[in-house]
Amino acid sequence: MTDWASILSISLIQNMFYATILASILCGIIGTYVVVKRIVFVSGGIAHATFGGVGFAYYLQSVFLISWFDPMLGALFFAIGSALIIGSPRINKRLREDSTIGVLWVVGMALGVLFINLSDHNVVVVRSYESILFGNVLLVSSQDLQFMLVMILVVLGLGAFFYRDLQIVTFDEIHARISGINVTLMNTLLYILVAMTSVMVMNIVGIVLVIALLTIPAAMASMFSNDLKQIMVLAVASSLVLSLLGLVLAIAYNVPPGASIVLTLAAFFLISMGVKTLYEKGYLS
Amino acid sequence: MEHPPIEIRNLTAGYGQNVVIEDVTMNLEESDFLAIIGPNGGGKTTLLRAILGIIPPLEGSIRIFGQGVDEGIRRIGYVPQKGNFDNRFPITVLDVVLMGTRAAKGYRPLYRRIDREKAKDSMDIVGISEFSKTTLSELSGGQLQRALLARAMAGDPKILLLDEPTASLDPQMKDCIYDALKNINDLVSILIVTHDIGVVSSQVKRIACLNRRMIVHDEPLITPDMMELGYHCPVELLAHGIPHRTLGEHDHD
Repeated sequence: MTDWASILSISLIQNMFYATILASILCGIIGTYVVVKRIVFVSGGIAHATFGGVGFAYYLQSVFLISWFDPMLGALFFAIGSALIIGSPRINKRLREDSTIGVLWVVGMALGVLFINLSDHNVVVVRSYESILFGNVLLVSSQDLQFMLVMILVVLGLGAFFYRDLQIVTFDEIHARISGINVTLMNTLLYILVAMTSVMVMNIVGIVLVIALLTIPAAMASMFSNDLKQIMVLAVASSLVLSLLGLVLAIAYNVPPGASIVLTLAAFFLISMGVKTLYEKGYLS
Repeated sequence: MEHPPIEIRNLTAGYGQNVVIEDVTMNLEESDFLAIIGPNGGGKTTLLRAILGIIPPLEGSIRIFGQGVDEGIRRIGYVPQKGNFDNRFPITVLDVVLMGTRAAKGYRPLYRRIDREKAKDSMDIVGISEFSKTTLSELSGGQLQRALLARAMAGDPKILLLDEPTASLDPQMKDCIYDALKNINDLVSILIVTHDIGVVSSQVKRIACLNRRMIVHDEPLITPDMMELGYHCPVELLAHGIPHRTLGEHDHD
């Protein structure tokens, strides 16, 4: 039987829970914008492009011994760079947005593979690139947690300060424009918030599964509420509960936490859809 | 000399090299109620987009109360066509109407009490207050149009632009929208773009027809020259400006 008391006393396990809690809060809020604005593909593009930054950081760490350039920092640079490119009106005039996202998605991944190939594999780095691709929340250090805490404060601060304008731009860009809102700036801000959230979530479930935490809780919440703020609250709550449940299941059954969290979310998503259908058909009251 | 709410001189506009409207000259006067009719692709929406500053003029000028579009835009309330946004967006009528108050100067992260009072007043004016807590997706077509009208009014505009506000509404609901507009016409000048040529002439003060070029009349009559310009078919007019399509010369006896 699993000895939870001794497991929970391990600091790495504690960090894992703290990191999951922080990421869940952000995912609920930013994921709501991702879902209602239908920019899931934007979030996927940004999340995957971060792999280029991860590879670049490994390259700098192993070849030039620049140890402070953490993969998370590299990921953050690439994520924000991608957000700026996707939001750029100059590029949007020439290319359809989904084409830009597709290009960034694959170029980011390809750069990641290339930099990792060029890295000196004799130098030991703290985190393997597999753990960043597929997630390994066990490797979250106290330093990572501090980084995550700063990011969450920045994202929540910006999100709260610009809540009104983000809501207007997300709902109706033409009205936003004639109300004097800089639509390009607000869209870019939203993409940057998505980028910062993706980098945080990357620690928990890995780059490949970031979209899951950004979309499933908010999509599930939007089945039960028609109010943006309520959806955010429900999405944070479901993300927190289900991610922690996924972690507990991962520990209990000794399976990778990223996959466990995503599959727990997906299972409850299906259950929610079933409940909603039964409710609509009048089987539940 | 006082400037008219909208003054358009020799406006040519379009998308890239594609000219959609050409050499359009018109005014919208104080307390005016002007309807612009015309066929699909005739440039009605392009004209609205140019007035709203979404596309820049290729030639000519648009002045709003004597100012450029960027400065004058805050005095305009805009009611879009139904399909301009996601009808399933999770938002209540009150939150939609509150968005109209954003045009006020100075940034605030939250709406103020005065914004909420304005939103409530404009919902009262267009008769949508009882739906204030209703979600947008639960509204009928007419209720949605009135909610959008309330949003446009919440910014205290001096000009209202409406893009096909009665499209796909039943006759009773159309009258309801026009009644709401007539009630506020003393406060705002109204420019409406519509396909609804059967109804519009009995509801507005003036009519213009736009099909690349524009004909404006100072009466609410749809005239044969408008129909020729707009729909390229010979017409005669029956009753109060209601057009009747003919097949060239024919005998009425």
